[in-house]
Amino acid sequence: MAQSLIETAWTGENVSIAQIERELARLRTESSEEGAQPNLRTSVMTHIAWVPPEWEGAAEETLFGMAERHPSRTLLLVPRPDEEDGLDAQVSIRCFPVGDRAICGEVIDLTLRGNRATAPGSIVLPLLISDLPVFCRWRGRPEWESPEFGQLMGIVDRLIVDSTEWVDLPGAYLRLAELFPKVVVSDIAWERTERWRSLLASLWPGIGEVHTIRVHGTPAQAYLLAGWLRSRLGHDIGLELDERARLEGIDLDGEPAPFPPGDPPNASDVLSAQLDRFTRDKIYEDAVRATS
Amino acid sequence: MTTTEAPNPLLEGLTLRRRPDPCLLVIFGASGDLTSKKLMPALYSLALRRLLPEKFGIVGAARSEESDDDFRERMKQAVQEHARDPFKDEVWQELAAGMRYVTLDFADDKAEDALAETLTELDNERGTMGNRVYYFAVPPSAIGTLVDEIAERRSSEGWVRLVIEKPFGHDLQSARELNAKLQQSFAENEVYRIDHYLGKETVQNMLALRFANGIFEPIWNRQFIDHVQITVAESIGIEGRAGYYEQAGAIRDIFQNHLLQLVAITAMEPPIDFTADSVRNEKLKVLKSMHTPGPKHVVRGQYGPGFVEGVEVRGYREEEGVAPGSMTETFVAAKLFVDNWRWADTPFYVRMGKRLARRETTIAIQFKRAPHPPFEDASAEELRPNTLLIHVQPNEGVSLAIGAKVPGQGMTIRTVHMDFLYGGTFREGLPEAYERLILDAMLGDATLFTRSDEIEEQWALVDAIVSFWQRDRISFPNYPAGTWGPSASDELIHRDGREWRSH
Repeated sequence: MAQSLIETAWTGENVSIAQIERELARLRTESSEEGAQPNLRTSVMTHIAWVPPEWEGAAEETLFGMAERHPSRTLLLVPRPDEEDGLDAQVSIRCFPVGDRAICGEVIDLTLRGNRATAPGSIVLPLLISDLPVFCRWRGRPEWESPEFGQLMGIVDRLIVDSTEWVDLPGAYLRLAELFPKVVVSDIAWERTERWRSLLASLWPGIGEVHTIRVHGTPAQAYLLAGWLRSRLGHDIGLELDERARLEGIDLDGEPAPFPPGDPPNASDVLSAQLDRFTRDKIYEDAVRATS
Repeated sequence: MTTTEAPNPLLEGLTLRRRPDPCLLVIFGASGDLTSKKLMPALYSLALRRLLPEKFGIVGAARSEESDDDFRERMKQAVQEHARDPFKDEVWQELAAGMRYVTLDFADDKAEDALAETLTELDNERGTMGNRVYYFAVPPSAIGTLVDEIAERRSSEGWVRLVIEKPFGHDLQSARELNAKLQQSFAENEVYRIDHYLGKETVQNMLALRFANGIFEPIWNRQFIDHVQITVAESIGIEGRAGYYEQAGAIRDIFQNHLLQLVAITAMEPPIDFTADSVRNEKLKVLKSMHTPGPKHVVRGQYGPGFVEGVEVRGYREEEGVAPGSMTETFVAAKLFVDNWRWADTPFYVRMGKRLARRETTIAIQFKRAPHPPFEDASAEELRPNTLLIHVQPNEGVSLAIGAKVPGQGMTIRTVHMDFLYGGTFREGLPEAYERLILDAMLGDATLFTRSDEIEEQWALVDAIVSFWQRDRISFPNYPAGTWGPSASDELIHRDGREWRSH
C-alpha cells in the first residue's frame, strides 16, 4: 500500500497561515489527474506531532504508513527557538489509490523558528479540522511548565507520549499524573506492555500471590507493569529492573513467566492503536499513580 | 488468600479480542467449493489474527476418499489461492496440526461412528472439551440424517452449535420440516442459519449508519423517502452449478435470503439493543409486514447469449447441465411494500440476477425532491433528488448525492457525490463475511444469523410469487447477457414514473 503513495508538495519559508491554506487548496486540486474522478479528502482527526529536532527522523519513520490507516491532517511541529523568528512550511498531499479513486491526507511540516516556537497554539488553531478530534504526539519528555506545552494541552483532546523516551523515571510519572484531569493521556510504552499484561492476566489466580517482579525491559515498561500489578492487586509489589532496549521477559517471584504469543507490534502499529482510542484509560492512570 | 471464585482484577481494561472457547469445527461437505474457497481461507485469516481458540481442531467430512495428509495439502493450496492474507507457513502448520479428514457417507452408521471416534481422539489430543461446531456445507436433503446422528451421539459434555448453509429448504413446507427436524433435538440458540450477506461489513454498517447517527433516523420514513432500490447484480453465470441453480433459480438463490435480509435491515425499527433476539425480532416484523406483490409487480428473466466485459458468453440454456428448454429464472425484479406506519406506500424496488452488466450490490435510498427549486437555470427535472447509496460490494462505502452550484456566473446546479469509502478511511482490510460468521458461531453470538421464523416468512413470500409463475407462461430467454435485465424490469418501475438508478 505504501508503495502506491502519490505525493505533491510545496515548500515555503517565512510563510503565513493563509499561504499554507492557499497552497493546500491548490495541491488538492492538482493531485487529481485532469479528466479523472476527483480525489477524496478523508479525515478522521487532526494529528499534531511536537517533534524537537533530535526526534525528526524517528517521527518521520513512525508516520510512514500512518496516513493510510488514519487519513487525517498531520501537523508536524519542529521547534527551533534558537533561530531567527519565522515560520517555514512544507505542505504535502499524500494520496493512496483506492479502486479508481484516490484518498488524500495532508501533512504540514512546520518549522517554528525563534519566538514562534513558544506560541505553537496560535499557529495550530487555524489549521485544525473542525469537529474532529485532535491528537498530539509529544516526542521526548514534555517540559511540563513550558508555554508551548501548556498551549497545546489547551487545544488537544488526547496527548500521546512514549515514556520510554524519558530519562527521569519514575519521577516524571508523578508530573504526568497531574495532567489526567485536564487531558486524556495515552502512553506508547503502556501499549507495548499489552500483550504481556494479557499474558499475566491469564496467570490469575496464582499471580495474585506474587510479591516481586523482575522485568527484563525498558525502565518505563518495568515501572508501568509494577504499577499496574500494585494498583490491580491492591498490595505492594517489589520491582527489579534488568534494563534492556525492549521488553524481553518477566520473572514472577524468581520464576520466568511464559512468553506471550505473537510478534511484538511495530512503532506505527502501536501509535495506530492509540489513535483509535478516545476515552480515558483509568487502568493506565492508576498504574501511573502506583509507579512509585 | 486469593480464591479461584474472585473475579480477575487484571482483566479490566485489557482490550482482549473475542476469543471463543476451545472447540472442534466439523465441516460436512469438506470436498466442496465452499470449503476450499471460503471456509478454509476464513479459518486461516482467523488463525493469523489469533482469533481462533487456542485449543482448536478441524475435521473435514465428505463422501470422497481422502487421507488426513491429502486433505491438509488440498486445504493448504486452497488457502494459498483464496485467502486474503499472505501465506505464513508457521500459521498454517499450527492450524494443520489439528486437522483431520473422515470419509463419510451421510447415511452410514459406521461412518458416523468413525467420525465420533475421531472427534473423541481430537478432544483428548487438543483439549477441546467436547465443544463442537458442525458446519453443514451440504444440500438440505443431507441435513436431516446428519442432525439425527449428531443428536444421537451428543455427549453431555460441552456445547454443540449447528451452522446451516443456504439453501434452507426449497419452499415453506420443506423449511418448516427442516426447522422441525432441528428443533426436535436442538434448541433455537444452537442453530445458526447462515446468510453470508449479514457477515459483510457494509451490511452491518447499515445498522451503524441508521442507528449511530442522529441525522438519518428522523428522515428514514415515508415522509422523506420516495422509494428504495436494492440491486444484487452478478456479472458471472452459474459457474458450473447447473444442478443447484436449475432447482433454485434467482428467486431461491438470492431473493429468498440475501435480498429479503437487505430489505429487512433497511426497513427495520431500531432494536432496543444489539442482541440476537432484539435484532431478529425487528427484522421479523418487517418480513411479516411485507405483503405479497401481485403478478404485475414481479418480473422474471433468463439470460440469452451476449457480451460481458467485452467477452462473448453463452445463454443460460446453453450452459453445461442446463435443460435446453429450461424455464429457470436468472433474474428477478419486484416492487415490494412494507405495510407499516414507517413505510406505507413507499415502494422497495428490488432486482437481482446473473450475467448482468456488472457485479454490484447496492441499497439506494432515494429521497423526495426539493419542493420548489428557486433557480431560473435549473428546472425541477434537472435537479435530481438526493440519494443515499450504500455500496455493499464492490467499492464498499456510502455516498450521498447532493445538488451543488457549478462555479461561475448564474446558478447552475449539478449533482455531486459525497463519498465515504471504507478502503479510504479504514485501511485495515475488510474481513471476509465468513470470518465474522464462523467466529460468531464459535462465540455463540447469533445476531447475524437468521432465525427459524424469519426463514419461514421469507419462504412464504417466495412461495406466493412462485405460485403466480406456475399459472403463466413466459418466453425465455428475455434479456441478453451483459445488460440490466429484461425490458419488463424497466416497465415495472417506469409505470410509477420512476427509473432504475443509472450506472
